[in-house]
Amino acid sequence: MHNFAIFFASIFTGNILLTNYLGMCSFLSVSKELKTSLGLGAAVVFVMATTTPLNWMVYQWLLIPFGLEYLRFIVFIIVIAAFVQLTEMALERYSEGLYQALGIFLPLITVNCAILGASLFMVIREYTLATSFFFGLGSGIGWALAIVAMAGIRQKLKSAKIPPGLEGPGITLVIAGFMAMAFMGFSGMIALT
Amino acid sequence: MLITLLVSIAVISLISVFLSLLMVIADATIGNYGVVKITINEGIRDLEVLGGQPLLRSLQQEGIFIPSACGGRGSCGLCKVKVVEGGGEYLPTELPFISEEERAQQIRLSCQVKVKNDIAIEIPEELFYVKEFSTTVEKIRNLTHDIKEVTLRLIDPGEITIKAGQYIQFVVPEYEDLDEEVYRAYSVASPPGDATHVELEIRQVPGGICTTYVHEHLKEGDTVTINGPYGDFYLRESDAPIIFIAGGSGMAPIKSILLDMEKNANPRSAQYFFGARSKRDLFLLDEMKALESSIPNFSFVPALSEPLGEDNWEGEVGLITDVVRKNVSDAQASEAYLCGSPGMIDACIKVLTDLGVSEDRIFYDKF
Amino acid sequence: MKQTPEYDRIQAQMQKGVITLDGFLGDDSRKLVDIIVADTLTVHKRRTTHEAIAERMEHFKNLGLKGLGNFITLDEHFEVKVETVRGLLPSPFGGPGMYGKTNTTVHNKRLGRTITYTDLHIHFIRDHGFYEGIGSPFRLEPDALIEILEVGTEE
Repeated sequence: MHNFAIFFASIFTGNILLTNYLGMCSFLSVSKELKTSLGLGAAVVFVMATTTPLNWMVYQWLLIPFGLEYLRFIVFIIVIAAFVQLTEMALERYSEGLYQALGIFLPLITVNCAILGASLFMVIREYTLATSFFFGLGSGIGWALAIVAMAGIRQKLKSAKIPPGLEGPGITLVIAGFMAMAFMGFSGMIALT
Repeated sequence: MLITLLVSIAVISLISVFLSLLMVIADATIGNYGVVKITINEGIRDLEVLGGQPLLRSLQQEGIFIPSACGGRGSCGLCKVKVVEGGGEYLPTELPFISEEERAQQIRLSCQVKVKNDIAIEIPEELFYVKEFSTTVEKIRNLTHDIKEVTLRLIDPGEITIKAGQYIQFVVPEYEDLDEEVYRAYSVASPPGDATHVELEIRQVPGGICTTYVHEHLKEGDTVTINGPYGDFYLRESDAPIIFIAGGSGMAPIKSILLDMEKNANPRSAQYFFGARSKRDLFLLDEMKALESSIPNFSFVPALSEPLGEDNWEGEVGLITDVVRKNVSDAQASEAYLCGSPGMIDACIKVLTDLGVSEDRIFYDKF
Repeated sequence: MKQTPEYDRIQAQMQKGVITLDGFLGDDSRKLVDIIVADTLTVHKRRTTHEAIAERMEHFKNLGLKGLGNFITLDEHFEVKVETVRGLLPSPFGGPGMYGKTNTTVHNKRLGRTITYTDLHIHFIRDHGFYEGIGSPFRLEPDALIEILEVGTEE
């Protein structure tokens, strides 16, 4: 039950993108295209759902026993990098179109702070293995939800008149702010710890 | 302190090694596509190739050369191939080159399609005859101040089957600042009857990769790789009178056609309008004059647009389009064969259609 | 200034021997993005735009085509010659389409100055604000283009 609560909380009330503002760079650039956003969102869900529990295992079974908790930043990134490579290879094989469309943003998932952030939150909040998985999965879905929602809004924006200077990242950040405020309405509903 | 240092190094190394092993396994499994089958023209030819490469490259390695001008970079749109099945979805890099009708026919850009599984394609039959030839340079001769005639003797294969008017691709090897081979297309000036040689007319272009190589580096005795033949610029079978228009190195395909006509004693009436600036841009005048006698019904009409005083020019003067307008009499029945820059070809088409030549009887190689 | 990997790739395409023998950058050691920014500043200081310059270049080329390789006179004080050689080149910026090897030479009789440019240049300037690197044999100085072609100013 606790895990389910964490799962829903990480999607809505503690949305890693809209509440913690992590993972903004790809969010701002890729949300131009709905289809690509869906693809990137799916990739991020996969990477987050796998690396968070994996990092838990590395943390609990390797770092803590040897007293090397301070190495977690480096180690988590290494694990995430390897997984993104795997994801790239798999995408290139099974969905060349998506692979080409994502272009540079695929390897950029490695440095997406939301992914490292999820692993670090897992450490700070002292989640169990199962919770780590649900938290990772939920955060990924939350991130994907945010980027797909943004892509949808930007599609509608195409026919709107934006003041020059605000076009592109400017108006996107303003909208992200509005979305964050909307999601704030969920706060207090479920606790994330 | 030291122990902590060693332990932390050991742990990180362990993790990195493990992950690297994982990558290696993944590369060998997910990244490895194994051997796949390419079925061409419903089984006329079947190829087994290593998967994961662009279709253009795989075909090339098996000796089937799809025409390409940009070397597989995805910018020329020439390497179109019909992929009947196994091609996957259209890539964003292909879409700018594929029209609606082509999409309906499943035409793809072969340099962008990666062969990851068994695939079935259809290609025009002529491409089966395109081969790669290794040749040696038999002779290099200056035709004008900036055009060289290069005669290549075929070594392997020793003979080429070509129609008069077609072109080959010349492979420029790495030299000086050029780090990667480059292909450039040139029409063949020698007649099809001479199957062991390929003669090219190459004009020097300032800063040109191939022409600089040919004009400054190529020597008699060098080896040159070419592939071909390509193109659908050749004399159509009919009785119609022929109008040839070409200038400069555009003479190459026309010369090939004329020599072929000489060999077959082709009785069709033909006029060749050769446009140049001044006398120093004219060449092979004696050969053309000789052809006037040996081809039953052929006349050579050179025209200079800016003859210099010392040229003492008594032939036609003016832009080639004006000269054509003045000298063509039975346009409506005629076929026209043009070779030159897109600008010249457009201008000539306009003059010819004004004179009454029907558009489907005007042929040109526009590259 | 740091540039995106995409620009790094384009800069690699512009090196000597990749698309043309001399490349498009000459001896310029700057990053591509810095070259473009510097030239854009020059253009803006002259109160015009890359598009305006490219349009003027295109205007002369289209009218000059009629000469079929010879000089023709335009607007009284311009002489234009357009020559083409066979073959097409891809753009180092990528994207679809190949560009003809067309050379347009414009001679401004009033100023007594001449400038030559190709189809690739028109594409470079109009679509990317790129005038080639300093030291490239085919670099076009924005100032020279503006003065010789008499490009109008825009507010």
